[in-house]
Amino acid sequence: MNETLTFDFRQAISKNRLKGLWRMMVDYRWPYVGATISLAISALSKTLTYFLLRYFADVLTGDSAAINNNYPRTFALVALGFVGLSVFQGAFSFISGRLAAFTAEGIARRLRDFLFDHIQRLSFSYHGSTPIGDLIERVTSDVDAVRRFFNEQAIGVGRIVLIFFINFAALLSLNARLAWISVVTIPLMLYISIWFFKRVTKRYEKYQEQATVLSTTLQENLTGVRVVKAFARQKHEKDKFEGDNWEKFLRGRHLLMMHSLFWPISDLVLGGQMLFGFVYAAMMAINGEITVGTYVAYVGLVVWLIWPIRNLGRLIVQTSTGLVSYGRLMEIAKQDREPLTEGKFHPNGSVRGEIVFDDVSFVYDDEKSDGTPVIKNISFRCEPGQAIALLGSTGSGKTSLVNLLPRFYDYTSGSLRLDGVELRDYPRKYMRAQTGIVEQEPFLFSRSIRENITYGVGRKVNQEEIEEAARAAAVHEVILTFPDGYDTLVGEKGVTLSGGQKQRVAIARTLLKNPHILILDDSTSSVDTETEAEIRTALNNLMENRTTFIIAHRIQSVMVADLILVMDQGEIVQAGVHEELLAEKDGMYREIYEIQTRIDEELEKEIQKSDVGVNHA
Amino acid sequence: MPEDNIELEEEEYSSQLTLPVLKRIIALVIPHKYWALGFFVAIAIVSVLDGVLTYINKNIIDQGIAVGDVDRLMELAAIFGGFIVVQSIMVFIFVYLAGVLGERIQFDLRKQMFDHLQSLSLAYYSQTSVGRLMSRVTSDSGRVADLMTWGLLDVTWAITNITTSVIFMTIINWRLALIVFAIIPVLVIVGIKFRQRILVEFRASRRANSKITGAYNENISGVRVVKALGREDENLSEFQLLTGDMYRASYKAAWLSALFLPIVQIIAAVALGSIVWYGGIQSQAGLLTIGGIHAFVSYLTFMLWPIQDIARVYAEMQHSIASAERIFKLVDTQPDVHNLPGAIDAETLLGEIEFDHVDFYYEERKPVLTDFSLKVKPGEMIALVGPTGGGKSTIVNLLCRFYEPKNGRVLINGRDYTEYTLESIHERVGIVLQTPHLFSGTIRENIRYGRLGATDESIEEAANMAGAHDFITSLAKGYEENVGEGGNLLSTGQKQLISLARAVLSKPELFIMDEATSSVDTLTEALIQQGMKNLMSGRTSFIVAHRLSTIRRADRILVIEDGKIAETGTHAELLRQRGHYYRLYTQQFRQELEQQYGVADGGKEKKDAPEPMAAD
Repeated sequence: MNETLTFDFRQAISKNRLKGLWRMMVDYRWPYVGATISLAISALSKTLTYFLLRYFADVLTGDSAAINNNYPRTFALVALGFVGLSVFQGAFSFISGRLAAFTAEGIARRLRDFLFDHIQRLSFSYHGSTPIGDLIERVTSDVDAVRRFFNEQAIGVGRIVLIFFINFAALLSLNARLAWISVVTIPLMLYISIWFFKRVTKRYEKYQEQATVLSTTLQENLTGVRVVKAFARQKHEKDKFEGDNWEKFLRGRHLLMMHSLFWPISDLVLGGQMLFGFVYAAMMAINGEITVGTYVAYVGLVVWLIWPIRNLGRLIVQTSTGLVSYGRLMEIAKQDREPLTEGKFHPNGSVRGEIVFDDVSFVYDDEKSDGTPVIKNISFRCEPGQAIALLGSTGSGKTSLVNLLPRFYDYTSGSLRLDGVELRDYPRKYMRAQTGIVEQEPFLFSRSIRENITYGVGRKVNQEEIEEAARAAAVHEVILTFPDGYDTLVGEKGVTLSGGQKQRVAIARTLLKNPHILILDDSTSSVDTETEAEIRTALNNLMENRTTFIIAHRIQSVMVADLILVMDQGEIVQAGVHEELLAEKDGMYREIYEIQTRIDEELEKEIQKSDVGVNHA
Repeated sequence: MPEDNIELEEEEYSSQLTLPVLKRIIALVIPHKYWALGFFVAIAIVSVLDGVLTYINKNIIDQGIAVGDVDRLMELAAIFGGFIVVQSIMVFIFVYLAGVLGERIQFDLRKQMFDHLQSLSLAYYSQTSVGRLMSRVTSDSGRVADLMTWGLLDVTWAITNITTSVIFMTIINWRLALIVFAIIPVLVIVGIKFRQRILVEFRASRRANSKITGAYNENISGVRVVKALGREDENLSEFQLLTGDMYRASYKAAWLSALFLPIVQIIAAVALGSIVWYGGIQSQAGLLTIGGIHAFVSYLTFMLWPIQDIARVYAEMQHSIASAERIFKLVDTQPDVHNLPGAIDAETLLGEIEFDHVDFYYEERKPVLTDFSLKVKPGEMIALVGPTGGGKSTIVNLLCRFYEPKNGRVLINGRDYTEYTLESIHERVGIVLQTPHLFSGTIRENIRYGRLGATDESIEEAANMAGAHDFITSLAKGYEENVGEGGNLLSTGQKQLISLARAVLSKPELFIMDEATSSVDTLTEALIQQGMKNLMSGRTSFIVAHRLSTIRRADRILVIEDGKIAETGTHAELLRQRGHYYRLYTQQFRQELEQQYGVADGGKEKKDAPEPMAAD
């Protein structure tokens, strides 16, 4: 409906990660360029401060004449100049920071939006094979790493490089020879800092690994507190934890050694460089090659140019995390979405519900599948409003078969027609709007019960309608017993619903949705007898005037169906109504029926046995 | 995500430093006082040398360049170089000492907390989430260590830095120094005000972030329902509200931070301007040298560093103090269940066990057991059945003395069991729980947990008795196979068998099984029966179960409902009564046979807590 996303990550996919990140900046390139330019202006203002200082010093030492020899006025002007430059510098530094944040936060925001939407539109097979934890990790940590790349690392590297070149140019304008000898050790420093931070990163990873080990030990101990206590193993646990704890200390120390070497070494290198420059410049000043003012300005510029260099290595090493994260996010973006609205046939109104399976087979196409069809050569026909029951054991293909109807998966071969039109031609969105599913263990969201019932209805629903649906689903009375009635939250922060209650909320949800095709996936197997009766009433209300598919394993749940399909290993082994199937002597249906009868008989026997006092022990 | 929430909740209150807390924090450093002293001295030297180096620079200008004295210049340069070397060594010392001290304090705190946690009773664990305890041991300890190292370091550095600068400035020209002193309070106030505003936005952004993670989590876990109900567009609009909140808060926090620095610098520039103007005039009068003015500018810049940082350091310190208080609270918690003074060794549990008018509740006014009495003869096998929440597990918990009765007594060998030591009871109890808990490591290590000195043969013997040997040997590495974190590489049924073997190995006198084989398939269950029969002979055992084969074998079956014994007797007696047990039994019987015949959907193992008996 309302496609509000303006950004499509799929347009920013590139094997070259830097290029990819550049493409990701679409719409934000000018602000980012603006941030860089502001940064340059700000740095330039600060550089000019040193030139002002030079002028001031030269005036003081008489190397430069004050304006009309009016010293107080000159000093006042210089003072104003300092304040003015500082305001200028501050203003642009603020603009730069703000624009960089604007870019980074903006990119992060639309990246989050895109990923959220993209993930919910990926196929069932993708979700089936991807661990949730891994996805969550990527959409949180990796997005944050990308944000930091723009907000801290890229701009940080840019800042240091800009400062370097601006100040170097300034030094050149003071004195070329002086400028060159002031930067001789910079390449060495850069090399050292990259060398160090690469190693620091490695040692840090080792340290983090041990932190994970320690957390695992801790967590296992805390969650297994009963076991620890039951076996009185406190001593053993303490020793184990202390071992892991000590190892973390050792690795921490190892990591620190690297840090504590880097800083003094860089101090020595840069301090030496600085001192060498100072002495050289001082000699030049004494020899009259430069003025005292120039010397003063030189000292300021050199200090400002040199010290940031040692952070450059750290930033450069850190940018690699941004690049890695980009790659990890790209893997998600590359996945194909389900085309929800695509389809040759766009019907007006609802379906009638006539469904024809004609030699339909289906093979999963993900990595886990070995290529054998999970359902094969299925043919049957059902009229609008009929109830079709699917009977069979686990893995017989019942669920796979009904999953084809809302187009969760597409059949691999054969023809499946709904109201005479090939199912593949209907848009997925339409089919899902027309189909309602009540699962064995329905998923409810941690929202209020009201929101759960109206979830996905797609229109405004008033309280009466909600209550009506809840009544028909036999859950209204239960809801009223909760502290906040319909506004009670479900889940951790609210009430925990029993399996039967969840199911009836799901039935109410489906009733409101009013689908024309209904799928009941083993809806009564996990609840007790009393609740089963209530759910059955609710289900009967639900099934009225809808084409219904019932997945079940008990004969009594399928007896009344208009058509019963007995499935085994992906195939229909028997089809017909209860009486017909019962009449087939060697059929599976009759076998199941007999087993269930036998169970009843055995139970009877068992009880009689105890009645005559024969203990079975 | 939940851990994130916990931190967020706890961050909301910030603590004031009180004397007792301060004393305890300092006490953490006492054992390592020489390290602390070392880094203190080192950082102070580094900071003072910064001031000295600037002063040497001044002299290079005034005594070297201005008068053209090359010898003096070289002399000063040599001193300068020497100090750089000294300073580098000091930097090495303080980074290393502060860092190692930090790691060491963390180590100490973690050890102290972990050891204390081992003594706390289950009641504490049921009230405190694992996530909370984890964050106590992992992140709070880190924050306290940071406070005592980098926090202290920041403060020391700031103080010496400002003091040194002030002293040198006063030496050079006290009038100009007064100008600088005037702006210090202004800067500090501005810093704190800014920090507060930034913190507000920062917290809002953390809150939004945690909501975003929650939304991702829910939408991905429930993606099937989302698709089936076609709710993608609405979900996206709802999500965009969250990312919008996050955007606004973090953007604001970011640009406020970007504003802070320039403001501090502009205030400083005003001071700088005054120095230039006033200093210029003074130098005309010969009161100030060019090197002096230059040094002034440098000292001013110096002082700005710690002042810019002061707000951050202050916020972090508050944070750390809150962490320290939480840690102390944990360490101060007394266990509810502990050895009484003069407790004696239980010697044997193979005697009469009696619940004597026991009352128990987890939460006040929600009684679980009321006036519960039961006598068990040594060697008897008791089965507990009944609905969830009826009190079966509570009976087991009391029996193991994980909890103690609120009223009434539990007697073993005629003595109140609180007169025995906890260890002597636990050593003689073998317990197998429905949600089996394994530790990372091999299968062998996990079984050996039952008796640490056990030989490999006795481990395999125990596994055999528990019906685990066959599946273990079918694994690629057999007993050396890794079970994964929390045993997650194994199925629930396999984990149950291993925890059963572990209990078997410990050769308990009192054997307790709480739904211990609920996820084991019927075939294996039958296999275990014989082993269990051997195991339970000569031992008292309590079995919470729903499998009929297990229940039927019991000497006595108790149907527990609403904290009371609703029915009691043997299997046959209870069936004849046509009461609660009869109803539970018929339902369970039907279900088991359906599964056995392969009629039912067998895939129920995915559910962690199958509770067919729960229904009534």
